[in-house]
Amino acid sequence: MATKTVCISQTQTKPIKIIKWKVRENQTILIGGILFIYDFEGAEKPEQRKLKSSQAGTVHKIVAQEGSIVKPGELLLELKACSHPTIMNDMCGECGADLRRDDIATTASVPMVHTIPDLKVSEELAQKIGKADNERLIKERKLVLLVDLDQTLIHTTNDNIPPNIKDVYHFQLYGPNSAWYHTRFRPGTEKFLVNIFDYFELHICTFGARNYAHMIAMFLDKNQRFFSNRILSRDECFDPTSKKANLKALFPCGDNMVCIIDDREDVWSHALNLIHVKPYHFFQHTGDINAPPGLDKHESDNKEGVDLSKIKEKSEKINNDKTPEKEEKVINGNIEAKGEENGMEVTTESPKNGTTMEDNNDNIEKNNELDKDKDKSNKSNIENDSKKEESTENKEKNDQKEDTNNEKKVENGKNKSAHEENTDKDKPKTENSEKPVEQTKKESKEDDLIEIDDPDDYLIYLEEVLKRIHKAFYDEFDKLESGDVPDLKKVIPSVRNKVLEGKKLVFSGLVPTHIKLEQSKAYQVAKSLGAEVSQDLDDDTTHMVAVRPGTAKVNAGKRRKNLKIVTPDWLWCCAERWEHADERVFPLNSKGSKNRHPPPHCSSPEHITNYPVHDAPGARKRTASGRFMDSINPLMTFSQDDIADMGKEVDEDLSDESDTSDNEDATTKKTPILKKDDSESSGSSSEESLTGEYPKGYKRKRPNFEEEDNSKLDDVINSADEEETISAKFRRGEKLDSDLELEPEESQGSEGSIEPNEGDDGEWNMMGAALEREFLSNS
Amino acid sequence: MFYHISLEHEILLHPQYFGPQLLEKVKTKLYTEVEGTCTGKYGFVIAVTTIDSIGAGLILPGQGYVVYPVKYKAIVFRPFKGEVLDAVVRQVNKVGIFADIGPLSCFISHHSIPAEMEFCPNPSPPCYKTKDEDVVITGEGEIRLKIVGTRVDASGIFAIGTLMDDYLGLVGN
Repeated sequence: MATKTVCISQTQTKPIKIIKWKVRENQTILIGGILFIYDFEGAEKPEQRKLKSSQAGTVHKIVAQEGSIVKPGELLLELKACSHPTIMNDMCGECGADLRRDDIATTASVPMVHTIPDLKVSEELAQKIGKADNERLIKERKLVLLVDLDQTLIHTTNDNIPPNIKDVYHFQLYGPNSAWYHTRFRPGTEKFLVNIFDYFELHICTFGARNYAHMIAMFLDKNQRFFSNRILSRDECFDPTSKKANLKALFPCGDNMVCIIDDREDVWSHALNLIHVKPYHFFQHTGDINAPPGLDKHESDNKEGVDLSKIKEKSEKINNDKTPEKEEKVINGNIEAKGEENGMEVTTESPKNGTTMEDNNDNIEKNNELDKDKDKSNKSNIENDSKKEESTENKEKNDQKEDTNNEKKVENGKNKSAHEENTDKDKPKTENSEKPVEQTKKESKEDDLIEIDDPDDYLIYLEEVLKRIHKAFYDEFDKLESGDVPDLKKVIPSVRNKVLEGKKLVFSGLVPTHIKLEQSKAYQVAKSLGAEVSQDLDDDTTHMVAVRPGTAKVNAGKRRKNLKIVTPDWLWCCAERWEHADERVFPLNSKGSKNRHPPPHCSSPEHITNYPVHDAPGARKRTASGRFMDSINPLMTFSQDDIADMGKEVDEDLSDESDTSDNEDATTKKTPILKKDDSESSGSSSEESLTGEYPKGYKRKRPNFEEEDNSKLDDVINSADEEETISAKFRRGEKLDSDLELEPEESQGSEGSIEPNEGDDGEWNMMGAALEREFLSNS
Repeated sequence: MFYHISLEHEILLHPQYFGPQLLEKVKTKLYTEVEGTCTGKYGFVIAVTTIDSIGAGLILPGQGYVVYPVKYKAIVFRPFKGEVLDAVVRQVNKVGIFADIGPLSCFISHHSIPAEMEFCPNPSPPCYKTKDEDVVITGEGEIRLKIVGTRVDASGIFAIGTLMDDYLGLVGN
């Protein structure tokens, strides 16, 4: 490491005699370390003097021999100065030199260790370590996998949720009075980690805070077997909006062997080695609680997840059932609850089919629902059977197994689709993974735990995809023989390319006429999967992807024998799972399909060129107009007149209120202002406020104000409070419906809220006092 | 190195504690305020042994708080360059070893670890070991190290250590 050679020569005025060297060649010496013992030549009184080193480094060569006499200016030894290749806390890790004090130019700049950003090594050393890492990985035939946490493996919420849901961890990060976090693992997470660990070295790469990341890692990986210390959290990220910046430091030899799984592409700037996973959504009303600032957190609000409020009621009901009655009754309660749960899921999912068109799983879920309906009829039988049995716990499990068996039978009888069999397989798996969780739970007995039917089975497919990538990488590596390392940035797209290789697709009704086929998202998705897409029906076309029946193309296609006509969901499903989905699950029926646009996680990293931003639900939009300016300050988009109008409106409101000072009136007068943003924000924002959007300690004040809204000043503060929710929305970059919605906020922001500051304080106080008097006299 | 030295500290007491337990409160406050702190000059204050004197309290005008000058003796731990100490390994990674010497954390760079010790990332936890696996340094292991540099800042002291000297390295089992 040390390259600079320093010559140390005799600096005394008289010649000296070296008595004994205290250092050897290649020994590291520190500042102040003793080099040798000497005496002045011809001194009257023999005395042992010590020469101390003024520099740190490694002894390269000892020039002056023991016993020799060295004249002033003559060379004593050659020293290799320390180049400070490792720096910790601004101190050299080799020689201990303080690099803050000295004006030493340091080369160490690469923080190689995930959790310790203070520890930096030089470029050269980083390369060396990185190379050793890569060699080791190849020897073990492993690859690197960067794993995102939120919405990839887990889903966390700050909402109030019932404490007795299975497979949910509850924890606080910042002491006893801080917010509670509730984390749910994606079904099959433990199995996924165990299986994938043989093929990949796992790293956590999350935007959660360090505490959070380590807490989750502790849950995921109790023995530190999978992740060890390889946890990169927000605290260590260089860039608050991108994880890409850290890659260079962690993998100084390039990211050839790095594969990434994440639910958002943007933080990796659409890297080619990223597998964009389907976001895991379990808790309603909560998006990614650790989304990077400026990006929306409530991306898929209200769309997915399980409605826990009903479960809460249900659990209460179970508890109520339990106390007064016998055990047998409890069994009934449980089973009833089960039935309810299924019913509940049907109801929560049904609006999704009607209104939201984002989820490509719609079709599958529809199938599931059908199964569930069938299930219900089965259930009555099971219920009768199970009543006779004794133990509650076993029975529940039996029920479940019977359910799954029944499901299987029904499905096998009707349509044998690959997917549904998979979901069946999934169920016992998740049950297994839940066992250790039960043991860690303290608060409730086992039979109190609510098991929630989680349809998410994405990790099974992801595991397959990753194994395929691993195989492709090492197949290519073996082929190369030269020892060159293939690049995963090429391997991953090529694996994806094989999914629909050799298939010829034709679209019907999928691409709007004003968009060229090559520019449409669907085309790019199909291309990235390796399929060919043609404009019109050819002789060798294998699949027709049609949005609705009855088009000319579909009618022509129906006459073909070998042509499979499917809905776009088929394509999205293939893109999501990286496998050729069974066409029979996605038949084109009379209703057609509404999912004309691919879900965001099915995009194709190879074709990110410059397709126009379409309005797929869930696509990120900053503001209604989409202009960047608006996202900074919406005021800039209003004309002078607009603002004046707003000011007038507020003035009118204010003057109205000063006339009618009755308490009741004050609140009703306030409502028109509130209503406008209530209509668009309260539905979500009142719940959103619980989801970690606000810093801890922030409490919504609205309920209080509505109770004791007796002074004018309060009213102003209140409106300021309202403003907060909208501006918070703005910060998130969420869409605001129209300019109208902004009016109450903006008008108060521009004029109304300034008034109390600029206006006469005394006047305000008097008005407040008058209001208070009247309020007191009324009551 | 450990020292037993006399130190001084000022205790600021809120008027609510004025009462029969006043001096007791001053003492307990001294323990909580002083033990575990760190100064550049004396190092870590490990434990207060005796309280020699509690001076006359001075009421701060306008506040009501009282300042008591307290003289006490305490055991302090001050690390020095060149000192040899026993430490417990906290973390092992490819760049080096992190170890704790009581309240003092210390880093040993890979280059300051004898060349015959190799880093093995595979076992969990990862370790440094010799080829014949005679010596294995891993998390929670006890090592003897020499301090080559210290940095004092507001929160504490951080040290750089080395294992490149005679009789340094793993101690015990």
